[in-house]
Amino acid sequence: MMASLETHYFSFEELCDVTELSSHIIIEVVEHGIVEPEGNDPETWSFDMQMVTVTKKACRLHNDLGIDWSGIALAISLLDEVEQLRSENEKLANRLKRFVPE
Amino acid sequence: MEFKDYYKILGVETDADIKAIKTAYRKLARKYHPDVSTENDAEAKFKEVSEAYEVLKDTEKRAEFDEIRQYGAHGQRFQPPPGWQSAHQGSEQFEGDFSDFFSSIFGGGGGRGAGPGADSGFAFNQKGQDIETELPIFLEDTLSAGSQTISYTLPRRGDDGRVTEVKKTLNVKIPAGVSDGERIRLKGQGAQGMGSGANGDLYLRIRLVPHPLFDVEAHNLIITVPLAPWEAALGTKVEVPTLDGKINLSIPGNSQTGQRMRVKGKGLARKDGFGDLYAVLKIVMPAKTTEDAKKLWQQLATTATFDPRAEWSNS
Repeated sequence: MMASLETHYFSFEELCDVTELSSHIIIEVVEHGIVEPEGNDPETWSFDMQMVTVTKKACRLHNDLGIDWSGIALAISLLDEVEQLRSENEKLANRLKRFVPE
Repeated sequence: MEFKDYYKILGVETDADIKAIKTAYRKLARKYHPDVSTENDAEAKFKEVSEAYEVLKDTEKRAEFDEIRQYGAHGQRFQPPPGWQSAHQGSEQFEGDFSDFFSSIFGGGGGRGAGPGADSGFAFNQKGQDIETELPIFLEDTLSAGSQTISYTLPRRGDDGRVTEVKKTLNVKIPAGVSDGERIRLKGQGAQGMGSGANGDLYLRIRLVPHPLFDVEAHNLIITVPLAPWEAALGTKVEVPTLDGKINLSIPGNSQTGQRMRVKGKGLARKDGFGDLYAVLKIVMPAKTTEDAKKLWQQLATTATFDPRAEWSNS
């Protein structure tokens, strides 16, 4: 069977639905700048796939580790940075190998 | 089943107070949280630590566990004492995914929300668990839309409340131009919902498989082009592989190692068109030098005025 892809954007309501989170949690996540949807108010907010993932991650960290939302905002941006640096480091190491044989 | 020593799991003494237990739990939870940790078995460790804390933070459960611990000889297969009845049995539904060992002492189906009180079928409805899995894709396959067959495991709850893993295979259409780390959601392809709850979703995390020739930089590709010293000096034409066929690249004379040449439109697919391919030059020496070649190098050495270490002479 061929599965259907979902790559569209999510409204505020759809995000609550897909993450199974209450609206006030998502408002916290947005107010702390953990995700930054398009649009100025909840009625016009539009979230992409990446934001769905980040929102779920933020909520897991909040529940599992008891970190407050501003701590989550900091943790998520640091985790992002670590991930970026790791992948950059890996890429640079690979490219270096093409010039300097091990 | 295996006996679990919750004190050992949290690394605390058996007489540790609640404060010490909390601190130990917090430290380990941070260490093994699957969103933070890079360890392979982080998720299993995190579950184990959460389970240990669930028991030891609760005076009643802890007392019951202490009793079991006295009874359960270490290193042997564990069976609860005959006629064992927990004060919690049947009275509580546990959030979280706990082990058989936990369930045998405190009751609960060992899985999310399936309380022992649910004797008349599933007493409530819940959306199925979302599943995230990695989808490795070859660079060649990102150029155009195509279908991929993926296999993943889903937790399935049987009628007895036990959770088993089932393998599922799915044919997925992948759009052109997916990038590393991108997530694709497949609605309803996650774990089965309970009662009239909807199925969970499947999230595919795209991972571009490293290519033996090409490196990826955003939507551009980089290929390293080895050149003989005389090719770099005099210029040449090189046949360069791309992801779809070969192209001829003119190398100008006096080229340097590290120099980049851009081949437009031969990179990865973007939402609008294609990225570029960068050919990075790398001058390599032959592994062996013949007598004839050596003579020619010597001739060059006596006539050339090039000082490769000119930068050193000023310092």
